Amino acid sequence: MKVLPVAMAGVLVFLGGCSSVAQNIGGGEEEVTITYARGTDTTPATDAMLAAFEEQNPNINVEVREMPPDSGAAHNQYVTLMSSGSPEIDIFASDVVWPAEFGQAGYVLPLDRLIERDNVDLDAHFPATIESGSLNGRQYALPSYTDAGILYYRTDIVEEPPETWDELGTMALDLQGEGGTSFGFATQASQYEGLVTTSMEYISAYGGQVINENQEVVVNSPEAIAGIEKMVEMMQSDYVPNNILNFQEIETENAFLEGNTVFARNWPYMLSTSTDPEISQVPDNVGITALPSGPEGNASSLGGWSTMINKSSEHIEESWELVKFLSSEEGQKIGALEGARAPTIESLYEDEEVTAANELFADPVFQETLDNAVARPVTGIYPEVSDIMQIELSSAAAGTITAEEAAANMERKMKAAFAE
Amino acid sequence: MEKKAGIGFYIFLVLFIFLVMFPFLWVFLTSVKPPNEIFGNFNWFTPNMNFDSYVSAITTRPLFQYMLNSFVVSGATTILSLAFASFTAYAVTRLPIKGKGLILGLVLASSMFPQIAILSPIFNFVTDAGLRNSYLGLIIPYITISLPLAIWILATFFQKIPIELEESAKLDGATPFQTFRKIILPLAAPGVFTTGILVFIAAWNEYLFALAINTDDSWRTIPVGISFYQSEYTVPWGDITAATVIVTIPIVILVLIFQRRIVAGLTSGSVKE
Amino acid sequence: MAKKDKKNKRPFQLSEKQLGYTMIAPSIILILLVVIWPIMLSGWNSLFDYRLNDPTRSERIMSESLNMETYADNRYLIEQSVTELSDLEPEAAEDLEAAEATMNEYHEALMEDEAMQEQYNEVNNRLENFEPISSGLLIASLDGDWGSEFDQALSTHIDTIRSYQENLGEEEAVEFGYMASQLEGLQGSVLDSNFVGAENYAQYLTNARTWTAMGNTVVFTVASVGFELILGLSVAILINRAFKGRGLVRTAVLVPWAIPTAVAAMMWSYLYDGQSGIVAHYMAQLGLISDPGVLLTTAGGSMFSIILADVWKTTPYMALLLLAGLQTIPRSLYEAAEVDGANRWQQFVSVTLPLLKPAILVALLFRTLDAFRVFDLIYVLTGGGPANATESISVYAYKALFEQQNFGAGSALSVIVFVSVAIISVIFVKMIGSDLFAERTKR
Repeated sequence: MKVLPVAMAGVLVFLGGCSSVAQNIGGGEEEVTITYARGTDTTPATDAMLAAFEEQNPNINVEVREMPPDSGAAHNQYVTLMSSGSPEIDIFASDVVWPAEFGQAGYVLPLDRLIERDNVDLDAHFPATIESGSLNGRQYALPSYTDAGILYYRTDIVEEPPETWDELGTMALDLQGEGGTSFGFATQASQYEGLVTTSMEYISAYGGQVINENQEVVVNSPEAIAGIEKMVEMMQSDYVPNNILNFQEIETENAFLEGNTVFARNWPYMLSTSTDPEISQVPDNVGITALPSGPEGNASSLGGWSTMINKSSEHIEESWELVKFLSSEEGQKIGALEGARAPTIESLYEDEEVTAANELFADPVFQETLDNAVARPVTGIYPEVSDIMQIELSSAAAGTITAEEAAANMERKMKAAFAE
Repeated sequence: MEKKAGIGFYIFLVLFIFLVMFPFLWVFLTSVKPPNEIFGNFNWFTPNMNFDSYVSAITTRPLFQYMLNSFVVSGATTILSLAFASFTAYAVTRLPIKGKGLILGLVLASSMFPQIAILSPIFNFVTDAGLRNSYLGLIIPYITISLPLAIWILATFFQKIPIELEESAKLDGATPFQTFRKIILPLAAPGVFTTGILVFIAAWNEYLFALAINTDDSWRTIPVGISFYQSEYTVPWGDITAATVIVTIPIVILVLIFQRRIVAGLTSGSVKE
Repeated sequence: MAKKDKKNKRPFQLSEKQLGYTMIAPSIILILLVVIWPIMLSGWNSLFDYRLNDPTRSERIMSESLNMETYADNRYLIEQSVTELSDLEPEAAEDLEAAEATMNEYHEALMEDEAMQEQYNEVNNRLENFEPISSGLLIASLDGDWGSEFDQALSTHIDTIRSYQENLGEEEAVEFGYMASQLEGLQGSVLDSNFVGAENYAQYLTNARTWTAMGNTVVFTVASVGFELILGLSVAILINRAFKGRGLVRTAVLVPWAIPTAVAAMMWSYLYDGQSGIVAHYMAQLGLISDPGVLLTTAGGSMFSIILADVWKTTPYMALLLLAGLQTIPRSLYEAAEVDGANRWQQFVSVTLPLLKPAILVALLFRTLDAFRVFDLIYVLTGGGPANATESISVYAYKALFEQQNFGAGSALSVIVFVSVAIISVIFVKMIGSDLFAERTKR
């Protein structure tokens, strides 16, 4: 495939250099401690994965550095750290939208040569999870788990879940008020990253795109406008909470767990909370299904996390071992069993332990969802693109501008941003 | 002013305090509710009151370590900042140095720039000095940030102290430094304590620098620590409200002790115009 | 202390001045080092098109320069690619080698400069050893026409290589695409100056978003500082009175300020929530708002929410500053006023206000400085939404700096904040009067 240049040669030199400093006379490798940064993990998954990794690599100790739980705050912290060239962290968990940006900025190590050297099979993963980790043919991240939006509904109210966004709208209007609910549908529409995520689901379902494979801005198309219009129509409707413009995941979860809404769009994590009788009012009435379709089928926005290596790390080789492990079948299986994290490796959905551990993983609907998941625009200036989308879509959802105006504004601003 | 406060005054007072304290009161009431009663109702009291959230708040994260860190950082910041600021304020108001306007202007100018914009250079500075994940790494920026306010308040206070007192001390053979220490500082005690409380709480409240500079959990301060209770999509309100209550108590005690000093100095009658 | 006393035994006319400079030194050194220097750096950054996420603009470059890291890295990649692609597609070998030859020809010309050669070798060495390239090594400035000629020479080769892509199988086409992007990377190692002078300012001062943010900031500042002054003054006068339990009352009113902004903002977002927020609920019940949902979802509602949260949190600060100021008013003046038969209100107007003026102005000055730079509260509570209705200029600058890594723009916005605040400060300082600035107090 690709050439094996500097980095490879460097790795060899690096290993050679390593043994020359090694204190260990037995010929074994020197003990190395690497720092792995990630957001707070409330599940035992990280500990379990690292324990397994350290057992396999007795010479590598992993120290966990907790980063802010909020993805945006973590992003800004990584920017501060890496722009200073600090080798403080070696490897870190990356939100699905960061690799292109961090890769272009030169903060993280391109992994291509290492991937090729160690014959890592990228095709085993869902394609979108690999694509989101690359820019211009260079792979900067390997996925460790994935996430995709799904539709939750109340089984005591809804007989047959809706197939299309139109149906969802009709049903939400009809059913709201039943079973103690106060609204029909809840989703994320606050002015934040989640608005970009949800809007991509409407835009894709109606056949639109924001930025195409050739890095061209194509958001001002009839299809994309139709998707935005659908979203705006729903946000302006009477069956969503009237403060939907302040809804993030937490508000959505509260609304569903309190039994206030018939339908809700959220990530898979809500399945375990909504079926937990300790905190949920509707533990026995939770149904899940794929997000509704538009004329061009249905699409879930891709979430999830991958792993990248700090370019200034002083322990590239050891960090790479951990990256590999976290995205391997073995690592992902631990994540699935201990932390209910959806594997990015397709074959793991045939693993009995995995499917037994979580009803979601056994659900063909969920696998299909992952297969059809759409990535948010992959570009080196993603934060700017996201910012533009948040502002315009928020204005459209609030009804201050029309969907056409939003699309035209986004096109103009994005083109200007790319031209800069 | 010396009139005895009537019953109406106390009713007004209670109402006022209730309004001021209401958000905090609600935080407290939330902290003793079981998690599934936090949302979905507006009941003030829960029949199932318990302190599980408190147990959870101190077991899931090292809250007491955060408190210790915050105390050390804020305490050291306050003491050093008061020392530096009172020196400067004294020199500027009482000693014959040149460029006072320039000095005060420079000091003021340093608090006109958005802190977010100097975060990166300060981060790099602290990193280069090898002070990341240490108390000093926060204390140095905090002192600097708090100096302008401290210098300005103290300067206005020192200004108010009659020059005659100083001159009589001088006639008695006191050096300027002795005058500063024995006459000026005690007289300006309310100003010093006010400034002290302001600086302490400002350091106690600071979030951005603390987040960026001390990334190791054992060096985190309270505001950063509390923000780490949440995870990607969940906010455990029980834990957060309990932690908020816990960390507020010592501050309340501290203020209770020091608030006396705010009004002690000048009213004790040592100054006559 | 003993040591100091000894030192002070010397004639103090001389040491008074020295003592003065010694006493201001620690503060001034700290301020210069920790704050003024970064501010000047930001000012300098604002004159560049400086973006950390774009390798061609991630340094401040005054004249045409070479990014040694990308230059060395891409040279290596291209050498490898040429060998590999020649095997893959022998027909293209000639063109591929021509590209390599051009690259080497220019490289030799460049290496004639000894310092350049040394730097190149060092960078190459470090790349091979995965050692970080220090910023001193990264950039080499270029003389003459080498840069532009190199750029042009490579362009023709890039076109040739791209033209192969059309007639090749998919896999080969991808490989040729990589080769072309490596050549483009090499081209991109020649950096033009990104010094843009006042362009960032021109752009952001004519940008509608800047002015919206400025408007939001002014509304927030005037409203919150105004309310805080009135309430703070009332609270200060209240807790200055002698009554039973005033220690407790003083402490209680300070509590809001002791709750960290980051935590207070989270707390308020919970209180304002449209479904379960108690404050939103009561306000709707009292008829103050039409519906609990409007607080954080409408432009007016969210601005109001932010101001209320800020007033709640910061009034104690104002009250404390004013209380300290009240302490400096001699009791005797009130006694005198009372003898003259002045009532409470007259005493307030004729004694308290004039004597409190300096304290009020200092408190206002510092509150205005803080309010104008408001960041955490808005960032946590609304993130600047809905539809940017609450975005303050600091929030905008933060987004440019840390989300978009556009340091030129972010710095320019910060300087705009600085200038606005400086103007406000000058007005306040003029009002505070010149006594604080007097070169020498009356003796």
